Amino acid sequence: MDRNQSHRNRRRVLKTLHFTALFLTMMIICIPGLWIVLNSFRPTVEIMAKPPVWVPSFTLDHYRAMFAGAGEGGVPVFSYFRNSLIVSVTSTLIAILIGMSGGYAFARYRFKGKNGYFVGLMLFRAVPGVALSLPLFIVFAKVGIIDTHFGLILAYVAMNVPFTIWLTDGFFRQIPKELHEAAEIDGCTRWQAFWQVEFPVARSGVASAAIFAFLTSWNEFALASQLTRSVGSKTMPVGLLDFTAEFTINWGGMCALAVLMIVPALILTFIVQKHLIAGLTFGGVKG
Amino acid sequence: MTRRRLPEWFVLLLPAIIVIAAVVLIPLLFSLYSSFTPYKLTRPSTLWKWVGTYNYEKILSDAKFWAAFGRTVLFLTIVLNLELLFGLGIALMMNKVTWGQRTLRTILMFPMMFSPILVGFQFKFIFNDNIGLVNNVLQSMGFNVALPWLVDAKLAMFSIMFAEIWMSTSVFAILILAGLFAMPRDPLEAAKVDGCTPWQSFRHITLPFLMPFIYIAMTIRSLDVARAYDIVQIMTGGGPARRTELLWTLMSRTGYVDARMGLANAMGYVSILLSILFTIYFFRKLSAARAELGMAG
Amino acid sequence: MTEVTLSKVVKKYGALQAVHGIDLDIKDGEFVVLVGPSGCGKSTTLRMIAGLEDISGGEVAIGGRVVNDLPPRERNISMVFQNYALYPHMTVRENLGFSLKIAKRPEQEIVKAVDEAAGILGLDELMDRKPAALSGGQRQRVAMGRAIVRHPDVFLFDEPLSNLDAKLRTQMRVEIKKLHQKVESTIIYVTHDQVEAMTLADRIVLMRDGHIVQVGTPLELFNKPVDTFVATFIGSPPMNLVDGVVQGDSIVLNGSVSVPLPVSAGKLTNGQAVKFGFRADNLMPIGHAVEEEGAAHEVDLSVTLTEPLGTETLLYTNMAGVEVQAKMFNPRPVAPGEQLHFRLTLDKCHVFDAKSGQAVRG
Ligand SMILES: Nc1ncnc2c1ncn2[C@@H]1O[C@H](COP(=O)(O)OP(=O)(O)OP(=O)(O)O)[C@@H](O)[C@H]1O
Ligand SMILES: [Mg+2]
Repeated sequence: MDRNQSHRNRRRVLKTLHFTALFLTMMIICIPGLWIVLNSFRPTVEIMAKPPVWVPSFTLDHYRAMFAGAGEGGVPVFSYFRNSLIVSVTSTLIAILIGMSGGYAFARYRFKGKNGYFVGLMLFRAVPGVALSLPLFIVFAKVGIIDTHFGLILAYVAMNVPFTIWLTDGFFRQIPKELHEAAEIDGCTRWQAFWQVEFPVARSGVASAAIFAFLTSWNEFALASQLTRSVGSKTMPVGLLDFTAEFTINWGGMCALAVLMIVPALILTFIVQKHLIAGLTFGGVKG
Repeated sequence: MTRRRLPEWFVLLLPAIIVIAAVVLIPLLFSLYSSFTPYKLTRPSTLWKWVGTYNYEKILSDAKFWAAFGRTVLFLTIVLNLELLFGLGIALMMNKVTWGQRTLRTILMFPMMFSPILVGFQFKFIFNDNIGLVNNVLQSMGFNVALPWLVDAKLAMFSIMFAEIWMSTSVFAILILAGLFAMPRDPLEAAKVDGCTPWQSFRHITLPFLMPFIYIAMTIRSLDVARAYDIVQIMTGGGPARRTELLWTLMSRTGYVDARMGLANAMGYVSILLSILFTIYFFRKLSAARAELGMAG
Repeated sequence: MTEVTLSKVVKKYGALQAVHGIDLDIKDGEFVVLVGPSGCGKSTTLRMIAGLEDISGGEVAIGGRVVNDLPPRERNISMVFQNYALYPHMTVRENLGFSLKIAKRPEQEIVKAVDEAAGILGLDELMDRKPAALSGGQRQRVAMGRAIVRHPDVFLFDEPLSNLDAKLRTQMRVEIKKLHQKVESTIIYVTHDQVEAMTLADRIVLMRDGHIVQVGTPLELFNKPVDTFVATFIGSPPMNLVDGVVQGDSIVLNGSVSVPLPVSAGKLTNGQAVKFGFRADNLMPIGHAVEEEGAAHEVDLSVTLTEPLGTETLLYTNMAGVEVQAKMFNPRPVAPGEQLHFRLTLDKCHVFDAKSGQAVRG
């Protein structure tokens, strides 16, 4: 009897511990982000107040200033947003096409040194952005594509292709090869078989690879900060620096821009989270 | 009769190879070359002066470089291990949750969406000694202190690691959780019946099964360990007095502030080598674990 | 006219040779089954006929036309895969009509052909479901439907029934046979199950290690196996084989039991080492045998184990130190250890050369 009782007690204690730990974890994950969102709605005097003001007031000043454009000393957010969007979407589309073609090659063909090629491609992804940005800056300057959308798109395509290959390889490998064989017997060319059968089946997986690529481009800083100079090509991560002066930082404004950066990323990730995990694990585990 | 053509797989891989060669390989070759010159951005003619391994000798005999190198390796070791540990813990906790698991999992993915530079600013804000959330909370609780989170060397290192871990633990947690979902139930139940304690069945059944997933996470992480650059650059810029200088910030300072490209590129090569070493190491571990799992069924 | 002809067809995977120069003539409308143990090259052969695998040497002709370098879509064949390979993103209707859609046939024709195929296979109720919502047997039927919609010259089946449970398999076997009678196309069917081969085939092609061992009707393979491999592969239970030595007009089994030479046996030299083969159906306890004419040899054997099957019982006995199986018709209970008087029908016995395994037949 007593033993049953003690086991029951222990289970209750464990349950409480479990709940507390989980709660704390979630707090630590959420609070920094929420703090940013909260402060984007607080007036600067309140952010800077000493002693701190705990009951926040609400203002849209930072957003108003942000969207008012460069004319009034604000930051040209619209341009940054547009640049980010153009660069991320274009580079993602191209990276997906190229990566999908490569991933398909790895998933469907047998050839000598396949593993070597695969690891080799991945290693290019491992090259640190900072280390690449120095020489890339010089090369792009020589070619004359520094400070252009094209240059940044090119850089991001190269950066995203290896990982896209990893993901799409995993997704295509999940599709039995008999599927395209059946399609070929049904009268398709290999090209038709891919677009009519394999691509539709792998569609959701490809979409999540695309979102991964998009997020990488959307959030990238090390390369963008060197390859862009002007309002016409700077992306939002680089734009964040506009809120910093020599000794002061406009926290409220920066938080507002941060929110603008996070929201699209958040929405996209919501949509594909399930496939994302599947893609990562299949790519890795099902060797 | 049959025409000699490029094999199809090669044609399919060609675009990838071309883009990567153009954007990564060529600049890297250029930087490899320039690392053997005293190249300075301000004096282009220096590009043609060959100095052999001078730059490498210079950095190898430079205490500042070695300090940054050692700190980087230490930083990565601590950070990766803690991320793994926390990730494992979070995944195990999440696996036990009976309701709202989807929501929790989505929340868990939040940090993955944040731009590293944003993470940098975010924690620069939160750890600000004057108006930061942390100090404000401490002061409101009655501690009359203003801890110099980003100014004191030790605290600054802690803050940076905190930011880095906050950003990247999700990758581990999510992938390990996926592993837990994929895990067959029977072995665990068999172990329970055989009288294993929870710790024993975790140690001998769950963990081995999770290994491939852990290595996938490690591999993915090792692909972009250098993201830490963004965070450090924003939070401390390598300061105070170079106490949080990592290989990447040192390189960027040498290249962009001092304009000594040749020297910076030499450092760049060391950092590339470091990244590649990490990646290859985990890739091999992954292949091995995969083979083992394959044998186990 | 769609006969299929293989001449000296070879398949190499790098250094490994999977198919060693196969010659085979398949007549128009014939149902040919390729059978053999796992890894013997059946699928590879079939896939070369389909055009899914490059041909390393020799020629494949369909309807008199060499198709070696033609892609699958130009061969007018259809294929049913072991895992069915249904398109998961299409409904059953779309699956069935896919090939016609690709061929850009008019809508009406597609609808008509799909409905006809659905009617033949009883798929009408399932037309708007996706494959994921079908049972194994239903998927199998859809896969067959997809094959017949196109009215191909040749049907190829690669172990289409091996993912089904035993009962469904028997049922689908019958349906495939009916289908063949209806469409009268040439069918090439791969299986490793000898029962399927026996029941379905007009002609069986028995393969081993990339070679054809024997081609013939099911009864030819059953009654006149060319070697011990065929003898043990075809028929269930497998043929009993006992080592022996020829001595005059009889064979001495394992140096103990002596059995008269079957009349069918060909040229044998005195002292030749042989394997003596007979099926369980030809070793029966007297009084429980089906009526057999011809020469017989009688022998007393003790039963070690019984497997009652209803109309007959399988008896495990020991002949000259080797376990052999016998059959008892109109069975009565038999206790282990019981001694029975058996009748061995000599006309149905086989003699194989011990070294080469080849049958020695007159
Ligand atoms: N793509 C390949 N690369 C290398 N070897 C292969 C390949 N496909 C098949 N083989 C080999 O060729 C031989 C014949 O294979 P095949 O698939 O034709 O056998 P099978 O008779 O169909 O066997 P099963 O009954 O198991 O399906 C086997 O030894 C196999 O290992
Ligand atoms: Mg096969």
